[in-house]
Amino acid sequence: MTRRDFSERDIHMALDGELPGEERMAYDAWLEANPEMKAKSARYIADRAAMRAAFAGVMDEPVPARLRQVVLGDAPVKAPAWRSRWWLSAAAAAMLAVGGLGGYVAGIDSIARGGGDDQLAEQAIAAHVIYAAEKRHAVEVPASDKDHLQTWLSNRVGLKLVAPDLAAEGFDLVGGRLLPAGGQGKAAMLLYEDAKGERISLYVTAESSETSKGTYTAETGGPEAVYWLDKGYACAVVGSLPPERLSDVAKSAYGQLLAGISS
Amino acid sequence: MDDKKAAILSEIPRLRRYARSLLRERDSADDLVQDCLERALVRLDNWQTGESPRRWLFTIMHHLFIDQMRKVNRRGEAAMLPLEAGEAQAAPADQVETIASREIIDALQAISPDRRAALVMVAIEGFSYAEAANILGVPAGTLMSRIARGREELRGLLDDTSRRRSIRIVEK
Repeated sequence: MTRRDFSERDIHMALDGELPGEERMAYDAWLEANPEMKAKSARYIADRAAMRAAFAGVMDEPVPARLRQVVLGDAPVKAPAWRSRWWLSAAAAAMLAVGGLGGYVAGIDSIARGGGDDQLAEQAIAAHVIYAAEKRHAVEVPASDKDHLQTWLSNRVGLKLVAPDLAAEGFDLVGGRLLPAGGQGKAAMLLYEDAKGERISLYVTAESSETSKGTYTAETGGPEAVYWLDKGYACAVVGSLPPERLSDVAKSAYGQLLAGISS
Repeated sequence: MDDKKAAILSEIPRLRRYARSLLRERDSADDLVQDCLERALVRLDNWQTGESPRRWLFTIMHHLFIDQMRKVNRRGEAAMLPLEAGEAQAAPADQVETIASREIIDALQAISPDRRAALVMVAIEGFSYAEAANILGVPAGTLMSRIARGREELRGLLDDTSRRRSIRIVEK
C-alpha cells in the first residue's frame, strides 16, 4: 500500500476514475479518518448522480431530422439567417446568472409592492431606456422585415400584433424585439423614430389580469409611459415627448393595436 | 452511406447531451450541434483514420462554443438582452424536468463556461482527464482546477437554491 498524503484534489481524482488503483485503499482509509472530506466526497457523488440524471433523457430523444440531414446531405443545409444565434441565449443565461439571487428577490419585491400597472410601466420604461439608446442593436428584427416581425412577435406573445402606422404622428417603425415580461411572460417591443431621431417604444404583453390606465414616470425622472391594461393584454407607450404629443401618439397606437388584436 | 458519416450520426445523441448541458435550451443546443456537424462535414478530410469520432466531434463543438462565448464577452454583448431570452426562459427543455433536475441544470448554467465544460466533459460524458484536456485544449492541471472549482461552485449554488426554497416554505 502506497503511503502518501491525500488532499481534496484526490477526491476529484477518485470520483473521476483518475486515482491509481494501488492508491485506492490508502485513499479510502484517509476518507474514513477525515469525516469532513468524506462528507465532501459523498456530496460530490450525489451531485454527479443528479447531473447525470438531469441529462439522461437527452440520449433517448429522437435525433432531430435537421441534424440527420446535415450529415446525410439529403437536404440543403443552408441555415436560416438567425439560426446561429444560439450563443445569444448563452449570453442571456450568463447575464441572468450574474443577476442571481439579487434579481430574484428584487422581482418578488416589486410584485408585492406595486400593482400590475406600475410593474408594466416600469418594465416598459426599463426596456425603452436600454434599447432606444442603442444605435446598431436597438431592434432584433428591422422594419424592413415587418411581416416577419409581426408574425414572430404575435406567435411569441400570444396576441395578434399589428405594428401601428404612426406616420401621421411623424414616427416611422424602426423594428422590434421580444422581451421577458414579469416571471414567465413575454412582451413585444416596437420601436419608432421621428425625423429628428427622437424615439418612442410600444410595449405589449398578454400578461395582464386587471383593468387600468394612466401615465407613469419613475420617481427619478426619465421617460414617461402611457399605459392601458385589460384582461389578457396590456400596452404601454414610452417616450420623452411633450405630454400632449406623447398622449396623441399613444392614443393612435393603442387604437390600432386594439383593432389588430380584436380583428 | 460511408463509414465516416455513419460514425458521425451515431455520435449525435452524445453531442446533443453535451450541448444541452452547456446551453440548456433545446433549440439553442441543437443549433450548436448543427453548427458542429456542418463544420465537421466540411473538414471530413481532416479527420484522421483511427481517431475517435467522438473526440474529434467534441473538439469541434467545444471550440465553437468557447470561441463564441469569448467573443460575446469581448464585445460586451452579454449585456444585450438577446432575441430569444423570453422564449428560452418560458420554454425549458421539453423533457420532463423534476425540481431536482431543473435546479441542477440551472446551477450548471450559472458557473463559468470553462468550468462547466470541463466538469460536464468528465462527470457526464465520461472522458478521462487526458481526453478532456485534449478536447478542451488545456493542460491537465488547468483541467483539474476547473473541475474542482466547478464542482465547488455548483455545490454552493445548489445550497443557495435549497436555502431559498426553505425560506419560501417558512414564510408561507
